[in-house]
Amino acid sequence: MATPPSDSPPSSAAGKPPNPVSVEPSNGGNPDTKVEAVKESSPTSVFVNTEPIREEQVQNAMKFLSHPKVRGSPVMYRRSFLERKGLTKEEIDEAFRRVPDSMTDASTTQPAVSSQDGQIKSSSYVQQQPPTQVLQSAAVAPVGSASKIGMLSQFHWYHAILAVGFLAASGAGTAVFLKKSVVPRLKSWIRKVASEEDEEGLIKKNDAKPSVAEEAAAAAKAAAVAAADVARASQEMLTTKREEKRCFEELLSMLNAQVHEMKSMSNSIQKLESGQSVNGRIALDEQDNHRFSGTSSRQPYTNGKTDTESRSVRSTSPPVSAEPPHPKSYMEIMSMIQRGEKPSNIREINDAPPNPNQPLTNPRAAPRPKPWEVSQPQNTSVNTYPSQESSNGTTYHFQDNQPNGDDGVPWWQKKNVRITEVETSEEHNFGSSNMAAANDRPPQRSWVPPQPPPVVIPEAATAIRQPKKAAIQTEPMNDDQFLARSGDAIDELQKITRFSETAGGSVEASSMVPDTSATEIQREDNGSYLET
Amino acid sequence: MPVFKTPFNGYSVKFSPFYENQVAVATAQNFGILGNGRVHVLQLGPTVTERAAFDTADGVYDVCWSESHDSLIVAAVADGSLKIYDLSLPAAANPIRSLHEHARECHGVDFNTVRKDSFLSASWDDTVKLWTVDRPASVRTFKEHAYCVYAAAWNPRHADVFASASGDCTARIWDVREPGSTMILPAHEFEILACDWNKYDDCIIATASVDKSIKVWDVRNYRVPLAVLNGHGYAVRKVKFSPHRGSMIASCSYDMSVCLWDYMVEDALIGRYDHHTEFAVGVDMSVLVEGLLASTGWDELVYVWQHGTDPRAP
Repeated sequence: MATPPSDSPPSSAAGKPPNPVSVEPSNGGNPDTKVEAVKESSPTSVFVNTEPIREEQVQNAMKFLSHPKVRGSPVMYRRSFLERKGLTKEEIDEAFRRVPDSMTDASTTQPAVSSQDGQIKSSSYVQQQPPTQVLQSAAVAPVGSASKIGMLSQFHWYHAILAVGFLAASGAGTAVFLKKSVVPRLKSWIRKVASEEDEEGLIKKNDAKPSVAEEAAAAAKAAAVAAADVARASQEMLTTKREEKRCFEELLSMLNAQVHEMKSMSNSIQKLESGQSVNGRIALDEQDNHRFSGTSSRQPYTNGKTDTESRSVRSTSPPVSAEPPHPKSYMEIMSMIQRGEKPSNIREINDAPPNPNQPLTNPRAAPRPKPWEVSQPQNTSVNTYPSQESSNGTTYHFQDNQPNGDDGVPWWQKKNVRITEVETSEEHNFGSSNMAAANDRPPQRSWVPPQPPPVVIPEAATAIRQPKKAAIQTEPMNDDQFLARSGDAIDELQKITRFSETAGGSVEASSMVPDTSATEIQREDNGSYLET
Repeated sequence: MPVFKTPFNGYSVKFSPFYENQVAVATAQNFGILGNGRVHVLQLGPTVTERAAFDTADGVYDVCWSESHDSLIVAAVADGSLKIYDLSLPAAANPIRSLHEHARECHGVDFNTVRKDSFLSASWDDTVKLWTVDRPASVRTFKEHAYCVYAAAWNPRHADVFASASGDCTARIWDVREPGSTMILPAHEFEILACDWNKYDDCIIATASVDKSIKVWDVRNYRVPLAVLNGHGYAVRKVKFSPHRGSMIASCSYDMSVCLWDYMVEDALIGRYDHHTEFAVGVDMSVLVEGLLASTGWDELVYVWQHGTDPRAP
């Protein structure tokens, strides 16, 4: 069951305070949260925030969320920022609730690609007016300023402006081009017409005009030819320069290769002398490079992965100014991968399970108790996962007599006291060292029934059990005998008190038959038995 | 002290909870950037021998032993999958399961020591997943972190509570019965690479970060750390509470050292081992043998030694 993404509307369970008495969210809380809070707050787990909402933190968060730049970032980053600043979930949810549209992205987040169209449609009718006004000034200015990070809808707005602007510009350009091409045609047409009309009267003028035009044309042709020559010359120069560059580059690369080989050789010589095997791998790698290396089928995968790998690997190196010195071969491999090459020592391995339905074998050894479990008690049972909740529920209910007891003292630490008695008494009875006891004891870890409440008033306890004795002796007594009898009873009471309070049983119990049976019943509860 | 040389760069080492002399090692080729991986199971003795080794297509970043089955191992692989191996079966029958749901690299795996039947996987796809060995699909997915989750650690006493450490600079505490996290600890100003619970006080948690420090927190009062352990020269990669002494912590770092701390003491650093010659990336303390430490690093060596002795001594 996947948990909802963090930018969804705040889940009521997350906002549940552990203590129904503690401060609810300041707006009174939804009925839903209250209902769920009451339902789920029975175990007072210490792993939940018990702080009330801090109003100043919420105010700071609201200022942050209202900032225009923050509006453009994904909700996930806003939440993460607030979490890093130390706000609790409740405070963050409260801030989001108060800043009205802070839950929606100004941009569409990663998974909602399909909703981009919806956003365009919804915003298009808003944006139709501005583009018409902004036509002329649209130009090229918005292109650079549109930051691509998360500003997708605005990007589309600009996109619309740009498209219209482009159309306008192209239209203007074609108009200009047409004008430029129409003018000479018009001129020539005019010339023709003029020449036809004024053939006789304006022969000289016509002659003059064509001659001027011819001279102009000749000049233009000469200029064109010159320009062509210049262009050719510059092209030739460019090509020669390129060739020179190529030669230089080849020289450089060859020199680099030679330097590299020399370096590696010197390294390998040094390492051979010093006898370290680690860096000797570099020499081996050099040799491996000459071998025919891997298939190309892994290439797209590796490229895609190397990008993420390099990002992730780089992310684990500290952003603090002191970067730990990475091993030399590490840097070589990183540079190889950044160039797109794959290290040659990678093999194709099929690590898929040969039989995915392979039945699980039986374990050959029983789980061994942990050192912290032996010395201090556990409070949960080992059940398989599905039944965990039910057993835990009963555990909590049964043994948590004081909900929300002392401040700062978690409930299981109080409960521990009783279980300590159980555990230590067990160990005492076994009479062996901790570890031996741990090894001998079967790994039961089953739910140990709680000890009956400690005997607060021993006299009362024994008095309850006394009736058997009293019933046996039903003879009528006169006062003196009664006093004597009660004195005996008091002595026996004291003996019983002492006896019932000691951890291990004693043989004296056998002297008092009905009481031993009673105490044995009591002892049976903690699963131990009397040892002499 | 036994030393073992792995062919690939070491990433994680874990003692078996069943046998004192068994250790599992996760390794990845080419420093884990790109390449194959291998899981080693080593038998410790007068010398270290390799009991089994399993090859994977991609690097293995973490490994953990099952708490209920003495021969099951779970490996977190860099291609996002989790592989389960059974040592009692021949190598040809392994792995017995491959669980592939994460969209990015699996970086951490931890087995539940209370319920003993479920485990967590922490991934760079910002999620933590809960699995049981017998199910082919995850039981729960916990998606709240804003960046890579580097580690997840079960609470040693509460079967349903675990903590996660993430690159979004927060550590979160979760209860598997709740849909979302129950606490957010803004523990560091930089990425948090590891976290672990105190085995003897289940409210205390340690976080290790890129900012070179380890901070120890009490979740009942998490605004101020109980202790800040400074001493590492670079990012702290792993942190582990001792199973035998409640206030002892072992850590390993990119400064190539393994350090031991007692956070209740004024001068917290109580031991420092400089045996690695590259980043020390994995450390573990044995549950069965008090004071036994293991570490591995990018120098492809696995050391197992007793606290107070020299790891490199023969």
